Amino acid sequence: MLHVRNLTKRYGRFTALSDVSFSIRPGEVLGLIGPNGSGKTTLFECLGGVLPLDAGSLMHEGRPLSDRERATTLFYLPDAIVPWPAQPVRWAIDFMLGFFAGRAHLRDEVIERFDLLPLIDVAMGSLSKGQRKRALLAIGLLMPQPLLLADEPFDGLDLRQTRDVAQTLRSYASAGRTIVLSIHQIRDAARVCDRFVLLSGGRGRGEGTLEELSAMAAARGAGASHDLEEVFLALT
Amino acid sequence: MRSRERLTAENAKNAAEEDLSALAALAPVAFGWLLRKETRELLASRAWWVLLVAMGPLVGVTFIGAVRTYAEASGLGGTAAGVGEAFSPLVGIWAPTFGACEVAAVFLLPFVAIRIVAGDRQSGAAKIEMQHAMPAIGHVGAKAAVLFAAWIVASLPAAIAVVLWKSYGGSIYPPELATVASGHVLNAGLTIALAALTAAISEHPSTAAILTLSVTVGTWILNFIAAVQGGIWERAASYTPPAMVAAFQHGLVRLDVVLIAMVLIASGLSLAAAWMRTGVAVRRRLNESFALAALAAAAVLTCTFATPSWDASESRANSFPEPDEEALAQIRTPLRIEAHLAPEDPRRSDLERKAISKLRRVMPKVDVQYISSTSIGLFEQTSPHYGEIWYELGGRREMSRSTTAEGVLETIYLLAGVKAREEGGDAIFRGHPLAVPPKGAAAIFYGIWPALALGCAFLTRWRYA
Repeated sequence: MLHVRNLTKRYGRFTALSDVSFSIRPGEVLGLIGPNGSGKTTLFECLGGVLPLDAGSLMHEGRPLSDRERATTLFYLPDAIVPWPAQPVRWAIDFMLGFFAGRAHLRDEVIERFDLLPLIDVAMGSLSKGQRKRALLAIGLLMPQPLLLADEPFDGLDLRQTRDVAQTLRSYASAGRTIVLSIHQIRDAARVCDRFVLLSGGRGRGEGTLEELSAMAAARGAGASHDLEEVFLALT
Repeated sequence: MRSRERLTAENAKNAAEEDLSALAALAPVAFGWLLRKETRELLASRAWWVLLVAMGPLVGVTFIGAVRTYAEASGLGGTAAGVGEAFSPLVGIWAPTFGACEVAAVFLLPFVAIRIVAGDRQSGAAKIEMQHAMPAIGHVGAKAAVLFAAWIVASLPAAIAVVLWKSYGGSIYPPELATVASGHVLNAGLTIALAALTAAISEHPSTAAILTLSVTVGTWILNFIAAVQGGIWERAASYTPPAMVAAFQHGLVRLDVVLIAMVLIASGLSLAAAWMRTGVAVRRRLNESFALAALAAAAVLTCTFATPSWDASESRANSFPEPDEEALAQIRTPLRIEAHLAPEDPRRSDLERKAISKLRRVMPKVDVQYISSTSIGLFEQTSPHYGEIWYELGGRREMSRSTTAEGVLETIYLLAGVKAREEGGDAIFRGHPLAVPPKGAAAIFYGIWPALALGCAFLTRWRYA
């Protein structure tokens, strides 16, 4: 579907991302795994068009995506934002559906799946962190773009909510939606993702399914393990 | 399932093209949604409601004061020719009443504009909204349109003042009233563009507020320097918002001023759009900004050559009497005036206001030079040539010390050898005296309007939040 090629981003002398490359396949849930400060959000912001790239490109079917094509191909859901704080959840959802010509037929279903009905008339700014995260994830899934990039989708959610949201994301992925999640909690990532991109110190350390990454770790002398945490530690 | 999603390169290209054309078709719908969103954000903003509430008392205090003064002056019974200008509602009522709008545009409107423009960045909504393929100017345009409409609503107390004045039996001359109102609308446009620009380039709304107020104070400083230094400063100061509003308040519509204001508004909004875009390197934005600023400067310079102007005042406050204008129109040779008056000498402003500004409107080929070695002229009074005004027309020179319109015209006619026909008594503006108190105005502006605005604020916030 999309190929990220040699993506590099610098803040002055500090290199936040260095030659990061990976692929995004249609209908998969891809997890971008890395500790805090590894460059996950920077990578997402570069892909989402929020930050300019210093080098590299986002390729689609062998050619770089233009800005307009990017707008129709992917939607980036940032973390730690409180958009339209004075507006109720209902209006925020309807605005985004109308503004982006989103998947209106899924509106009620998504609201129900994310348990937003009790919050529908509450202002976005009055929601708790977890509630707001659910509202924003619902908005993300209602967007028309085939690819959704969600930064820290489980941040602020409790255990039960994390499990429910993971199931919901998986179900939409299995219905054809492509989802890329940036996650710093490796256990959460293992629960929901089909494949993983490991990021550490601004560099890509590996890409593949758990089995592929495990083999990669074993090839580097680590013991055979199917635990994502162990694999991550071995490869980074 | 996944294999169904895999498209061939050709299919993907076609799909992308279809997506783009669909997006173009949806652009008006998306813009409509943006307008609705900005309207709701405006209604949710406290700054807007503070502006709305404050406009009542602000307009009230100026209108009531103006009507009282007008009534007192009218009560003196001075309706003879020559003092008629004192009883023009343009100067006596509309200039001070709409002056409240100027105060609000300088001190309140910027905060509303900054709240609307910077709010999205502060909340993170901009990161989401700017992912839409709509150009950034569309986002800025929606904000500006809503702010502009908001300003029109906030100006309602001034419209109420017009209705009240009419109900008192006051005279209304629509062209001059429309001119004053247009001046304030343009001024608000400039404020909105400036606030949008500062909000777009600064990280925090407080920085934007400081920058906006700095520019406003900067224009005041420019006016001060112009008053002291004259020359090019004087020319530049004539295009500042306060000078622009002052011209409109006197019923004068200058094409160059209108065009320059529109260029500045368009440039401000375009620059704001350039800085609101996400994913663009700072260096590129800077380059684009410099190019845009250069383009705007060239456009402003070009606009300064647009000389037409229209005197919309009923009293012809910006024009010589018609017979004089006809006589001046006969003079084809360039006129050169050399006035030995310092910038701060009151006689110089008298000469400029009563004669030169009117002369420039009738005679495009008039070149005026002010000569002085100091700014105040106090110590030049003993100089034998200080205060002299030399006129040169067709090789002939004449000197006069008069700074009145009559004195200036007399000298020019002497040089040109023309004579103005006698003006009929009917053509003289006699004014519209009105000796009535501002009945009911205090209740409306100090009571009903603020109560209505507060009521709407509570209802709206209750409904939307």
